[in-house]
Amino acid sequence: MQSARAVLEATVPFRRLSADSLEALARRCEVGEVAAGQTIYDATGPVEHLYVVRSGTVRLTCAQDGDGPGRGLGPSDLFGCHALHQAQAAAEAARAESASSLLRVPGRVVLDVLACEQNGSAIAEALVEALRGPHQPPEDSRSGQVDATPSAGAVKRRGATAMFSHVAAHGAAYLRNRRTYARLAGYALFFGSWYLAVEVFALPRFAKLPGITQVVHEWLSRDPTYGLSLHTPIYYEHIWASLRRIGIAFALATGLGVPVGLLLGACRAFREYVFPVFELVRPIPILAWVPLAIIVFSGSETPVVFLTFLASFFATALNTLLGVKSVDRRYVLAAGCLGASRWQAFWHVVVPGSMPFIFTGLQISIGVAWFSLAAAEMVSGQFGLGYLINTSYTMVQYPTIVIGMLTLGFVGYATSALVRFLGERLTAWRARDLGLGKV
Amino acid sequence: MAAAIAWRPTASAPGDAALAVAASASLRGAIKIENAVKFYGVGPSRLLAVDGCSLDVRAGEIFVVVGPSGCGKTTLLNVIAGFHGLDGGAVYLDGETLCGPGRKRARLGADRVVVFQNGALFPWKTNLENVAFGPTVQGTMSGAEALERARWMLADAGLRGYEDAYPGETSSGVKRRVEIVRALMNRPAVLLLDEPFRALDSLTKSMMHEALLAIYARNRGTVFFITHDIEEAVFLGTRVAVMTSRPCRPKTIVDIDLPLPRRHDVVTSRRFRQLVVEITAVVHDEALQAYALGEREG
Repeated sequence: MQSARAVLEATVPFRRLSADSLEALARRCEVGEVAAGQTIYDATGPVEHLYVVRSGTVRLTCAQDGDGPGRGLGPSDLFGCHALHQAQAAAEAARAESASSLLRVPGRVVLDVLACEQNGSAIAEALVEALRGPHQPPEDSRSGQVDATPSAGAVKRRGATAMFSHVAAHGAAYLRNRRTYARLAGYALFFGSWYLAVEVFALPRFAKLPGITQVVHEWLSRDPTYGLSLHTPIYYEHIWASLRRIGIAFALATGLGVPVGLLLGACRAFREYVFPVFELVRPIPILAWVPLAIIVFSGSETPVVFLTFLASFFATALNTLLGVKSVDRRYVLAAGCLGASRWQAFWHVVVPGSMPFIFTGLQISIGVAWFSLAAAEMVSGQFGLGYLINTSYTMVQYPTIVIGMLTLGFVGYATSALVRFLGERLTAWRARDLGLGKV
Repeated sequence: MAAAIAWRPTASAPGDAALAVAASASLRGAIKIENAVKFYGVGPSRLLAVDGCSLDVRAGEIFVVVGPSGCGKTTLLNVIAGFHGLDGGAVYLDGETLCGPGRKRARLGADRVVVFQNGALFPWKTNLENVAFGPTVQGTMSGAEALERARWMLADAGLRGYEDAYPGETSSGVKRRVEIVRALMNRPAVLLLDEPFRALDSLTKSMMHEALLAIYARNRGTVFFITHDIEEAVFLGTRVAVMTSRPCRPKTIVDIDLPLPRRHDVVTSRRFRQLVVEITAVVHDEALQAYALGEREG
């Protein structure tokens, strides 16, 4: 016997379906054998299925025709067009003339499949043609309307998607433009006021500050007055020293802070032991740690990294803990219901569920890291932007202070943008969940 | 004579073999609740939520529990699922003790899957990954097998095209269907539904009812359905239990003799209205009593 798929493929309308759709339809088919003279459905009952004759012959008789000759069907013929209007009486009867084998598939499934199909509308038309048959009076135009629905729906849906992405793209571009514009205006205002306050009006409080033109001139100079500009290698050594410390400290803080936070959130016993200590140590300002850090760690590098790490670690661990607590209990219960062990529930539910909070924590953590790095570099350490600012102050190289500060600003901004970018990539589901659209 | 044709499916879902053990038992999912007692809180002010509640849910039926809100229906469901324990009595599933003397709380397991009131699809997984989750973590199928079966099950429920969408990107109606499919992936003996369609608009709701009946027809098992919507109860149920309010125990159990499968037009039938009116009267009585009780206590 032929497979359901082969039978469907032999009919005129369905042979045009894509392989996927054909497969989907074939899966939902049922086969049945009817004896000669047996009624398949009568004119009064609802018809829910579309039928295909595999073998044998079937006769359709229209209720209005009385006992007219009706229409004879053979292998690969389709019948049951009323299945495509939902919940309507057949208005025709189907009876097997000889022992036949039939295939049937719910009308609703056919509509679903057609709605997903590329050229669903053409196939729907072919289907209507095939069901109507050569002798059917054309007054039955309703079936045409109903059959057109899925294709129209599919087209509309595609159209809506295209329109949506079009509007979204344009909207985003517009917003981006406006935002850029606003940002530029903000910068202009900031640097403009600086310029006006120091160099044009020379306001009393601002008299000693380096002016913006002086700073920019020094920064870009090939032969800087105070020995540091974009063209001197020492400038990059300072940046590199700071970046390296941040990198190490941030990696350590993340590598330790996230697991500790997860453990704090997930394991009650651990939380009871550790959290009080945590809460006691956390509020101690980073500068208060400086003496101990210098006593404990030798050299000038390790204390700086340690101080930077410490601040980041607390921010990360605490936010991770909050993240674990933020995971809805429903998800954990659902995972348990679906057969997940405690460890699986933790790994598949708690960890991804707390990701948004973890990344918020990491953003705070990188900010705090720069903050404590500059402070630590000022009191201990050689090289680094904090060190540069401090030594420039003691050596009365005021423009260099501002260069150091602005560089800190730029580099800090770049690193936190990087963290934010990664976070948004990894927690894109959250924006979707909150209905914020694609990030 | 129209009904005499024996129709049989031509295809089976991928992964069916892996779950064949579960399917080999002919009809599973008979729940027996015996004299269940449940308190909330401790001390003299504790609340008696369920008292002397006995229910017999037959294997393979759609058993609907209705009652005034806050009457303790959800407590029963939580006990069956294993989220709560009992303070007295016992619950059996196919003759085995789920919880009762010697077993404080039922083990969480994929033989009794809950579909939650507010939905609990994991928002960080796609619909397909959500559906494949159960067999993957249980280890009954490899990841690829589970995904293949999930794809099939979604297509079977008319959800083709939603596989790679995240739950947050789909409508609430689709989410509910995906969640029901996720539950059925595990071939649970009992599907526990806690007012799953509560937040849906009435049109989506009536479509969901038909969808649930259609999905149910292909995945035989017991359905334990909680609602306070009486029309929903009559439309879906093979039997409807009306519960008393605080403490919760069955007041009446009504056989719904409307033939299955039902379509949405059954709601216009005379028998359907009769049943709704009949059950509404009982629920209304109960709600009034609960209200009066609240007044007195308050």
